[in-house]
Amino acid sequence: MSTSHFVPAQWLPKPSWKTAGLLVPGLLLCSAVAAGPRRQEQHFKVAAHPVITIHNPNGLITVKAWTKSEVMVISTPASDRIEVDAEQMGNRVDVSTRELSDSVAPDDMRADFQINVPEDAELQIHNDAGNVSVANVLGDMNVETVAAGVDLEDATGYLTVKTVGGSFTCTRCAGRIEASSISGNFRLLDLRTYHVWAQTSSGNILFTGQFLPNGTYSLKNYSGVIEVRFSPGDSFDLSATSLKGKVNNEAKLTPSAHQHHFMPKWGNALFGTFNEGRAKIELTSFDGTINILKRD
Amino acid sequence: MATITCREFLAYLEPWLEGERPQDAQAHLRTCRNCSSVVSDLELIHTEARSWSTAEQDAPERVWASLRAQLEHEGLIRETIPAHEDAAKAEAPRAGWFSSLFPRLPRPVLAGAYLAALVAVAFALSGPVNRRVNEARWLKGTQTSTSPLSAQLDFAEQNSNSYVARSNNPDVTASLHQNLALVDKYIALCEKSVNEEPQNEVARDYLYEAYQQKADLLTQMTERGENVQ
Repeated sequence: MSTSHFVPAQWLPKPSWKTAGLLVPGLLLCSAVAAGPRRQEQHFKVAAHPVITIHNPNGLITVKAWTKSEVMVISTPASDRIEVDAEQMGNRVDVSTRELSDSVAPDDMRADFQINVPEDAELQIHNDAGNVSVANVLGDMNVETVAAGVDLEDATGYLTVKTVGGSFTCTRCAGRIEASSISGNFRLLDLRTYHVWAQTSSGNILFTGQFLPNGTYSLKNYSGVIEVRFSPGDSFDLSATSLKGKVNNEAKLTPSAHQHHFMPKWGNALFGTFNEGRAKIELTSFDGTINILKRD
Repeated sequence: MATITCREFLAYLEPWLEGERPQDAQAHLRTCRNCSSVVSDLELIHTEARSWSTAEQDAPERVWASLRAQLEHEGLIRETIPAHEDAAKAEAPRAGWFSSLFPRLPRPVLAGAYLAALVAVAFALSGPVNRRVNEARWLKGTQTSTSPLSAQLDFAEQNSNSYVARSNNPDVTASLHQNLALVDKYIALCEKSVNEEPQNEVARDYLYEAYQQKADLLTQMTERGENVQ
């Protein structure tokens, strides 16, 4: 069930000739303001593990977790030529932006959102341009954008992010991460996750985080820089290959403890084990540079 | 005998390619031009893939599983087309197995279907590095499997461009076009590498992924076009 916050009718002043002269210019002013951004706030009561879907063409989407069993959607459309629909179906809340006329100018197609969800919420977000920011949500997440950047903080669960040109930053994330892009840069910071699969064509990939025992970390690009920072206590089995680029390594590797079935004979390749080789790291580039550096 | 539907026939696809010929599947193929076309094309791919492998290995289960999942996901598996429509199609010339199979599907679905083709191409492109085949054969095989796909993608791209031109967000349109150009550039570079070193599995892997990215991007572009109509 949802509730919307609007101005109650009884709050409006009673009309009189004396006040009419003051009211008319005021109302005209109000109508002019109403033609601009119209902030709307809606609340939806949900059960455990709700699903929230957001479809927006352009704008800033900020999602934060809170302790309430409720989803709050605050939307701010850039114009009255678009409308934000938020509706609940069972334990699912669907938020979408739609055009109210056939020809809407690009600047008018923008809507910003501030959304609060329960910690265990599952998110499905599609935002073409602008930015998507999610913090402290522990449920699974799927984010797809074209040009919009994606910032996830303290997220867990199964995180899948797909952009065309948007950058992706994941800070202190756990769980399972799969990210792909064509030209977006990836920054995977202070991660604590067992599975990372990240692939971008021309973007850079930076990974700083723990390599957990039995974890798998696969980073791949076509060009650009792949940089992995390790600490002395880490334990991993490393495979780094750049077909036409360089591989720079600061880790003191020993011959791999585990048999490699596939040893490419093309490009610059590096294989070896650091400490006990508990995690598995695969770094692959076509003509980019791969850096395996000590963490500061 | 009551004939089975196209959807039901899919269950027979893999056994069919392994040589099994159940009667109801045969009956369906006699009456369904679309499924017949699919079978002949898949048999061709299957034969080609076999011929490239000195080990004579079969397509792994994952290939069929991926193909089936992709077809289902894209909604390409559907009930059989009425006979009168089949007859009408029989008059039309064959224009490639995807286009003849799914002529009425919207472009996004059609573009997405290339991913299914890529699954088959991926199998064709994959293989042990030390396989004992000569380079010319690898090169020919790679070109044989990617050229039709490349042409299909170029065709899809032309359609996508007309769609995306109607998108009203210049930033998004610019991003899509820039990234499409980027992927095209990578395809060209990968093809060059494959031509220079036909047995270079890493280069072939990158070429396949670049095609996959292009198909994916074209799908997004056509979907966007429909949304702004």
